[in-house]
Amino acid sequence: MDSKQWVEAASGKNSPVMDRLLKGRTFPGKVLLTRRTDPLGDSSIAEHSPDIERSYSENDLQPTELMDSFSEGEVQNINKGINNSAKSKLKSSVSNIETMSSDVQKTMMGARATDSARVTKFRKELSGPAVILETLRELAWSGVPPYMRPTIWRLLLGYAPTNSDRREGVLTRKRLEYLDCVAQYYDIPDTERSDDEISMLRQIAVDCPRTVPDVTFFQQVEVQKSLERVLYTWAIRHPASGYVQGINDLVTPFLVVFLSEYLEGSIENWSILDLSPEKMSNIEADCYWCLSMLLDGMQDHYTFAQPGIQQLVFKLKELVRRIDVILKFVSLSQFINNVVVFDRLEPVSRHMEEQGLEFLQFAFRWFNCLLIREIPFHLVTRLWDTYLAEGDALPEFLIYIFASFLLTWSDKLQKLDFQEMVMFLQHLPTQNWTHQELEMVLSRAYMWHTMFNSCPSHLANS
Amino acid sequence: MTFYINEEQMEDYLFKIVLIGDSAVGKSNLLARFARDEFYSNSKSTIGVEFQTQKIDIEGKEIKAQIWDTAGQERFRAVTSAYYRGAVGALLVYDISRRQTFDSIGRWLNELHTHSDMNVVTILVGNKSDLKDAREVSTAEGKVLAEAQGLFFMETSALDSSNVSAAFQTVVKEIYNILSRKVILVQEHKKQDTSWMENGKTIVLQGETNHEADSRTWRAKCCSS
Repeated sequence: MDSKQWVEAASGKNSPVMDRLLKGRTFPGKVLLTRRTDPLGDSSIAEHSPDIERSYSENDLQPTELMDSFSEGEVQNINKGINNSAKSKLKSSVSNIETMSSDVQKTMMGARATDSARVTKFRKELSGPAVILETLRELAWSGVPPYMRPTIWRLLLGYAPTNSDRREGVLTRKRLEYLDCVAQYYDIPDTERSDDEISMLRQIAVDCPRTVPDVTFFQQVEVQKSLERVLYTWAIRHPASGYVQGINDLVTPFLVVFLSEYLEGSIENWSILDLSPEKMSNIEADCYWCLSMLLDGMQDHYTFAQPGIQQLVFKLKELVRRIDVILKFVSLSQFINNVVVFDRLEPVSRHMEEQGLEFLQFAFRWFNCLLIREIPFHLVTRLWDTYLAEGDALPEFLIYIFASFLLTWSDKLQKLDFQEMVMFLQHLPTQNWTHQELEMVLSRAYMWHTMFNSCPSHLANS
Repeated sequence: MTFYINEEQMEDYLFKIVLIGDSAVGKSNLLARFARDEFYSNSKSTIGVEFQTQKIDIEGKEIKAQIWDTAGQERFRAVTSAYYRGAVGALLVYDISRRQTFDSIGRWLNELHTHSDMNVVTILVGNKSDLKDAREVSTAEGKVLAEAQGLFFMETSALDSSNVSAAFQTVVKEIYNILSRKVILVQEHKKQDTSWMENGKTIVLQGETNHEADSRTWRAKCCSS
């Protein structure tokens, strides 16, 4: 496909690929429910998407080139047609999602994690003699019912064996192993530690009291001590990275989920003292092992100079640039048929670049703390259902989630200058977010992943 | 270089300032107190770098400080040191109640000088002065170190606000003074040269001495080089 065909395709004159690609995909519930088992729905997408990918890599179309391929006259005609209401529609493709009746959305969102059919599927999956992880991942990706989370997370991370006969035995052994580690590394006098170990312990001790400080539960001394043991033991056993600030945040979803097996009601009213020492010790051990499993796939995120994170930040920037181009096409194809309205939309990535904003300036923390710092704590466990369902593919998928997260504010960002943008991105207005906004981020991430994934060179290409 | 100079009016200033020092010495709270008059007893650790701007009035001129608050942990150095570039001011912070944070000052100075200009206007800040009973570093020690290294010095408390604005203002005012002298020189020389900060370590940072003398010193060195 040359660039002319591209424009024709996008304008709907000839196989409106992008339009069709997104049709029916923008409904968040549907996207999630049909994930992978029926990832594309419309067979034409499967046929056409490779073309899209190929034309990209062959021609490496830039937004400016695309725009320039319109004749001057066409653009003027188009501009004449602009009126305010139409202009307001001319945003990103995702505006479709946003204009959908919020009632419908709520029903969809609220229903998903707990809806009885899904719960039955989870139950069925867990009841057999051996869990099929692939099936469990499919199900868990869209959210796990809260009371099943402890069991499912342990399975997804590969901490609990899939074979139900072996499960209890393995967990008991692992928990004892953790206790041994604590005795060997943590419960020793400072005189037996090296200087580096002492300063690492000091760093951890400084960070534990300021972990999720806005949730009072974490202010309990016993909770902080527990965190300290987990972090220090993990750090000693992972000398390549050692403890890095932000890893303290990563233990908290595990702690909350495993505690939820024993403590009821709101987390604000939990008291760790209501638990027997034995139970608490098991929970702590589970946190340790799950943290270890999670970070095994991301070791280079925390080693010297954090190359893993730097690389993902770079890929994120690339992906956002490419999504921008696609979004422009979609707006074009959607409106070109209604005597169009065409505005020179500045891609947000270009705006950011022009303002001198580096992705590292805001996305570093996103990767370092896996977005925990950016959304309300009560949404974190839902986000982690998807993380853990991704398994080994998580680091790559993070790029899609974070691109989707960032582009939630693409309209807003275009209006900000450098300083305003940095401040905005470092304090994103997510305080009042509900599951609805988070599901939106995840479904868009999934959609883009599906679109781009058939051509990995998309991201590899710089 | 992160300042914009309007030769005619000397109005639009943007100074880039970095906050550095060990973990948990109170960098983020100093900034929160200064920029928003807020304080959090358990504020989250800074990951990478955080950013804030604040307008400061010096001699009737509005100056914008662009302040980069950096993570204290060693592991983030590779990421944070990139932000030192272009900084014209620095607050080098330790905690008066934890001696080891004071012992690290030398390392931080090296770090700063490796990644930025030698003549970044720097103030040594002993924070948490409200913790009188837990003090491990005396005021005198702080002063001695500051003098030896040619830094401004101040003890602050982000908790009770004492000296917080003063510390930031000291830095901003000094940058402003240096810049004003430079502008005068620029006007004298009828040439525009905004690379004043890169002309070696010729700017005298100590105290409020005679401006006339200072600028002459500076000019002599500048022209002889």
